[in-house]
Amino acid sequence: MHIPDGYLSPITCVATYAAVMPFWVVALRRLKRVLHTRMVPLLAVFSAFSFVVMMFNLPLPGGTSGHAVGVAIASIVLGKWAAMVAISIALLIQALFFGDGGITTFAANCLNMAVAGSFVASWTFASIAGKTRAGEARRLFAAGLAGYLALNVSALLTAVEFGIQPIFFHDAAGTPLYAPYGLSVAVPAMMIGHLAVAGLAELVLTAGLFAYLLRTQSDALTCAAMVEVSAPACGTKPIARLWYGLGAVVAATPLGLLAEGTAWGEWSVQDFIDDASRLEILRVSDGTALPDAVPAGLRRLSEAWTAPWADYAPSFLHNLSLGYVLSAIVGVGLTLTAWYLIARLLRAVTAARPIERL
Amino acid sequence: MFVGRLLQGLATAAQLAEEAEALNARQGLLQGLDARVKLVSMLVLIVAGVQTHSSSALASLLVMAFVLALVSRLYTMPVLRRLWVGILLVAAVMALPALFLVPGGIAGRLPMIGWSITEPGLRSAAFLFGRAAASSTFSMSLLATTPWPHVLKAMRCLGVPAVLVAVLGMAQRYIFLLLQTAMELVEARRSRILGPLGAPGRRHMATSAAGALFERSFFLACEVHLAMVSRGYRGDVRLLDDFHMRRRDWLAACFVVVVALIASIGVGR
Amino acid sequence: MNEPVFELTDVSYAYQSVPALDGVNLSIRRGERIALLGANGSGKSTLLRLLDGLSFANGGSLRAFGEALDEASLSDERTHYSFRRRVGFVFQNPEVQLFNPTVFDELAFGPLQLGWSRAEILQRIEEIAERFSLGHLKNRSPHRLSGGEKKRVALASVMIVDPEVLLLDEPTAALDPESQSEMIRFLAASRNTGRTLIIATHDLDVLPDIADYAYVLDRGRVAGAGTPAEILANEALLRRTRLIHAHWHSHADGTAHIHAHGHGHVHRHEGSHGDPGSSVSSPPMTNGVG
Repeated sequence: MHIPDGYLSPITCVATYAAVMPFWVVALRRLKRVLHTRMVPLLAVFSAFSFVVMMFNLPLPGGTSGHAVGVAIASIVLGKWAAMVAISIALLIQALFFGDGGITTFAANCLNMAVAGSFVASWTFASIAGKTRAGEARRLFAAGLAGYLALNVSALLTAVEFGIQPIFFHDAAGTPLYAPYGLSVAVPAMMIGHLAVAGLAELVLTAGLFAYLLRTQSDALTCAAMVEVSAPACGTKPIARLWYGLGAVVAATPLGLLAEGTAWGEWSVQDFIDDASRLEILRVSDGTALPDAVPAGLRRLSEAWTAPWADYAPSFLHNLSLGYVLSAIVGVGLTLTAWYLIARLLRAVTAARPIERL
Repeated sequence: MFVGRLLQGLATAAQLAEEAEALNARQGLLQGLDARVKLVSMLVLIVAGVQTHSSSALASLLVMAFVLALVSRLYTMPVLRRLWVGILLVAAVMALPALFLVPGGIAGRLPMIGWSITEPGLRSAAFLFGRAAASSTFSMSLLATTPWPHVLKAMRCLGVPAVLVAVLGMAQRYIFLLLQTAMELVEARRSRILGPLGAPGRRHMATSAAGALFERSFFLACEVHLAMVSRGYRGDVRLLDDFHMRRRDWLAACFVVVVALIASIGVGR
Repeated sequence: MNEPVFELTDVSYAYQSVPALDGVNLSIRRGERIALLGANGSGKSTLLRLLDGLSFANGGSLRAFGEALDEASLSDERTHYSFRRRVGFVFQNPEVQLFNPTVFDELAFGPLQLGWSRAEILQRIEEIAERFSLGHLKNRSPHRLSGGEKKRVALASVMIVDPEVLLLDEPTAALDPESQSEMIRFLAASRNTGRTLIIATHDLDVLPDIADYAYVLDRGRVAGAGTPAEILANEALLRRTRLIHAHWHSHADGTAHIHAHGHGHVHRHEGSHGDPGSSVSSPPMTNGVG
């Protein structure tokens, strides 16, 4: 599921960086406030742990084997904020050190696996096992399901990112310039593998590891209480508001890409000549006046330019699959939101336990 | 053997790290350059490769990537070679179906089965393959020739927050310890096994090794925290940066920027 | 008599309601070399952590350098830095202490936290690298060091700020004979330097070389105190506090007998007899290792 460089267009990469950045910022701020001096060693060691666990080749039911990401167990035990940062760092080390996953696609990989994975896993776990103090079987089931769902949501996001590439990013002749398969190919191709194999690997790892921690009465289990439960102490309200804001931003990012004819900084020479475009540029540039003539440098560049930032708008507006894309993206968003709301409704407010160690 | 497979990933990781370190010590063009220059070059070249729409520009970047790897004597690393083959394999798996699946004018047919290869499919597959190959070769040849601590310091110079650099450095440092611990845990469990193990038994073994590793990680994190506080850490990360740009570093930086610009603009349209 | 560095009055500490220390009274004066003897779980490591302000007593009072040492006082920035500057802690497991990417960064970590100037740090690194023969290791990653080198770097990374008090947790454990003898030489040489040494150990073999006075801890209480010679002569105390135990032992001539022995015994058997490590320490038991 690690997307390599070159599979996603630069715009998608920029959009995913923009989408994932607020999560990193909020997560780091929050962790810093809750963990103080413990943050750096905790994140570092658990990034290293995630990295090592990604190397485990797990035997699966049905005779296959697969690698897990470890995002679900990290979210359950460390809390989603610590998990998303730790997994992101493990992914960065993988990308830099092993060439596993790209640099330009790093944010997309983090968004899919670290951020979405953490949220889905911790919501799933909380909504099923949140209020059960006892009920080991139920907690194990919740852990396994959290792993399975987290990985499959990650895979779905990845598939959607792949699937929208050929629709928007192709040259004049219609040749796809990045991932060439549309949603109708990318989604089934990704999901079959993940529903059948990779999701199971995550399930096995999450449930197995959680069972081990329960069996050994691990101190590590109080760790979750430390990161998550003490959240009210640092003010939930601003965080919640920020979270809703973030949700809006994330939802708007793909939509914004579709709706905005030109994104800031991506004007073509034609835009400078066309009046309507000029007005729009003026608007998005915050009223800064534009030069009347096409800047000489831009004109010269444009002559040698093979339309790297081709005008996507006309081609996609006429594209019949637009509705499909929109519904796919909105669908993913809605699923995530619904999950979150259900989880919130179901979750009992667990009493804060005092933190002894770490 | 299942344990062998389980350990293979771990062993590969450890081996790669060792080889990378050996490679850093070797003489080569890239080894002699400043880490900041290399890091920026890598980013610039990868972005150029990803965003160009000109096939000739992409081809030139790919050639440049190979030449860089060649002059830095990267090809002698068996693990690196294996990883590279792996990356190409993934690219091929993604790219090959595109030959047939992308609609368009037909460029040719496969001799035996008669599947038609389309012209846009050919172009599309070439782009996908070229981008992935160029990017991974760039990132590997630049990072495999730079000691990891230097990469960290270069990140710091480029404005990556100190706290992230500290976490990255510490994470990478403890990866080695945890890799070793994981191998010991699996080995210890293997030595207790009599006879072949069923699938549930193997799963149990793998997950309990992972569980034991998790516990140790937790304990390690607690202890490291105390060790940091004991030496005066209060939560503000402080790092010592020392880098000097030499003339060849500036030259390399200028060269890369020019190459990237040309590539982005497109070679001869 | 020198002024006291640490004064503990009726200190107790419990972790998750399991008592680890129970009514400990101690007074440690400047320049003393103190050994805290005890079997595993006796509370000696806990005591070291309390002395280093890493965890805090649940009951009783602990004073360091004449002032109360508690969570509140250490949260003050100035107290924190001055305390950290004066007290150094060498952890038992060097893996824990070497958390930086390179040896150089490791050495720089302490001084950087204490806000030393760049020039000062660089100069001090040179000095300490020279003193602990680490010059050739400066750019190494910790995982590329041998066990003895790791311990040496850990010690150097604490010694770089020249602390008045040095706390060491099992400094001679799990070391090869040569590194062990190196460590013992360092601890022996610290005598009369004015530096206070507090060493937690269960290695009776090295006790006379590394300490002038020893406290024996058992189940969180001080069970005995005295000079190394007095402690080593008190077999009943050592047996009661599980520092030695009855040991069945067979000789080459076919006879067998039961005698007491210390836990350091195992390490010395692993080294060859020509090793400097085994010649440095003298056997604590007259009827010891056969």
